Amino acid sequence: MSTDMTAPAPGATAAGDVLLKIENLVKYFPVQSGKLIQGRRDFVHAVDGVDLEVRRGETLGLVGETGCGKSTLARCVTRLHDITAGRIIFDGVDISTLPPRQMRPHRREMQMIFQDPYGSLNPRRRVGSIIGDPFAIHNIASGADRKRRVQHLMELVGLNPEHFNRFPAEFSGGQRQRIGVARALAFTPKLIVCDEPVSALDVSIQAQIINLLSDLQRELGLTYIFIAHDLSVVRHVSNSVAVMYLGKITEQAPVDQLWDHPRHPYTDALLSAVPIPDPDRGGARERIILVGDVPSPVNPPSGCRFHPRCPKARQQCVDEVPELEPRLGDATAHIAACHFPVADGEDISKSKPSIGADQRVIESGVASGS
Amino acid sequence: MALLEVQDLHVSFRTADGIVKAVRGVSFQVDRGQTLGIVGESGSGKSVATQTIMGLTRGARVSGRALFEGDDLLTMKHDQMQDTRGAKVGMIFQDPLSSLHPFYKVGWQIVEMIRLHDHQMSKAQARQRAVDLLKLVGIPQADMRVDDFPHQFSGGMRQRAMIAMAMALNPMLLIADEPTTALDVTVQAQVLQVIIRLQQEFGTAVILITHDLGVIAEVADDVIVMYGGQVMEQADRLTIFNHHHHPYTEGLLDSLPAHSAERVRLRPIPGQPPSPITLPGGCPFNPRCAYVMDRCRKEVPPLAPTDTDSTHLSACWLPRAKAARGELRTKMLVQRAATEQLVQAPAQAEA
Repeated sequence: MSTDMTAPAPGATAAGDVLLKIENLVKYFPVQSGKLIQGRRDFVHAVDGVDLEVRRGETLGLVGETGCGKSTLARCVTRLHDITAGRIIFDGVDISTLPPRQMRPHRREMQMIFQDPYGSLNPRRRVGSIIGDPFAIHNIASGADRKRRVQHLMELVGLNPEHFNRFPAEFSGGQRQRIGVARALAFTPKLIVCDEPVSALDVSIQAQIINLLSDLQRELGLTYIFIAHDLSVVRHVSNSVAVMYLGKITEQAPVDQLWDHPRHPYTDALLSAVPIPDPDRGGARERIILVGDVPSPVNPPSGCRFHPRCPKARQQCVDEVPELEPRLGDATAHIAACHFPVADGEDISKSKPSIGADQRVIESGVASGS
Repeated sequence: MALLEVQDLHVSFRTADGIVKAVRGVSFQVDRGQTLGIVGESGSGKSVATQTIMGLTRGARVSGRALFEGDDLLTMKHDQMQDTRGAKVGMIFQDPLSSLHPFYKVGWQIVEMIRLHDHQMSKAQARQRAVDLLKLVGIPQADMRVDDFPHQFSGGMRQRAMIAMAMALNPMLLIADEPTTALDVTVQAQVLQVIIRLQQEFGTAVILITHDLGVIAEVADDVIVMYGGQVMEQADRLTIFNHHHHPYTEGLLDSLPAHSAERVRLRPIPGQPPSPITLPGGCPFNPRCAYVMDRCRKEVPPLAPTDTDSTHLSACWLPRAKAARGELRTKMLVQRAATEQLVQAPAQAEA
């Protein structure tokens, strides 16, 4: 990534240097294959060679369909999963293989906010003690001091500090998500990985949490990796966005660049599928409806992994893995992994793939009806 | 006559914490071939209202009328309800995995449903019908996939199988309760396309319940906005998005990130939705409303036409005349902006 970020940082601090660098990250999960005896080990290729950089004070949006590996990538970054191969360099330190004890000090610097505000809080513990957990684990501040710090955190995220002794069940979904944010902020981490932080919330509450996260970013100079499937939310919060498909990054660019000039057909399809809450604009655009479902990550397709669903697929897409690099004269910050990138103004909903039908997923009903 | 006409529907449940008034006087109607969108946040009563119409809320205290082709669904005998449900009114739920029985093959479940209502049809015919339906909703290799179990289907395929089942007997009305909420956007686009196509082909009326205003903007003809068990506003789609009257509708639309490059700070609705046990007096939205007046706390505003258009209904005490409303709003917005600036000034100074 170069310095020509077109997106104005929504309140970024003195941004610039790279906080997190991921090199060729691979994560496979073993799965039991059909035969129990002498069955060979198959692997789910959850994350399959991902390179990413996240700059200090900025927000990297990570989008993709269910099962594309975005959550696994997030959990690898925070070392909740051990990685299969590759390197994670966080703030200048290679943390990819650190043993748990040495990893612990770094964990303070990187925190996670989870999707489900119901499942991520222990229902039998009081909120004060949940938010105070990081202090207990790292043996910092106890007794009245800890209580004071917890109450400060509660105030910071817009909770009433007097509700210290309540149980999670006494809070609404939006307030619970605030509890999750407070817990993540305990040591003012450098990086917060937000895994679908607003997906489970109602629209009006969702906006409250998004505003809270951007206020905190401005005040505390936080860096976010923001995972969401709601693309309008990602567009609102991110400086740059990476699109994932079947364990690989297919395109990455500064946010407006990606929206205005999507190069990968998958990005184009993804963006066009988002319903726009404006009846005057929604009807005017051409929608690209992808055929079929995401293939199994156990046996990902050869070449470009998107080729079985791509409207522009050709033989080269089956044979060769496309490099992630600038296409069609884009700036170096805008990279796409596609042999036949989408030109500006091109309408790929009319494109027809030129490879044989046996290599593609056939969806007679949807394809012929459209 | 409308296909379905719901009049003054009230639904409440007795719970350990008190009486939950889930739906409080909801009226609407759906015509043949039309799509009615119902929007609202969780707890607004949108699902309970439609489930009650279908007789799926056992143990609830229900009053009002729900006339389907002139017959009241709420007082219907069990047998007659059984004939209506499934055959004349199909339903799709949010979670396609828990709506399909995990132990039975997908095709078997569709066949069972068809034969339950159509006693003349043979097993082989019903099976063929199931295959045709799966083809219709775009399941690849339907003649083979008909013998798959639900877990062998992906999320989008399961939801399409649910649609196939709901459409099996060509119902006149399809109730889709958050049909695409659990799905990815690309799959959501596929599923919505299937629903729209089937509607055009068979003239089915659709009630689409969702919290996604984007989906509403693309498929609904008429829209009702629910909050706290009541209808806040009702109008055709364009009016709801471009000329809404109710502050809640305005708040919902303001909460959405703009679909453009400009990044203005979102304006969420402050506070939380009310508990259905202890609803605020007067207008249920008054504690969160930016335009709240004394009257809103005391009297429940009736759902009444706005002056511009008799089909545009709004339950709000704000002036109905457009000019007077505009004036009052500007005044209140200026006030609100002033307080917002006071709150934000320190933060901005820091930045």
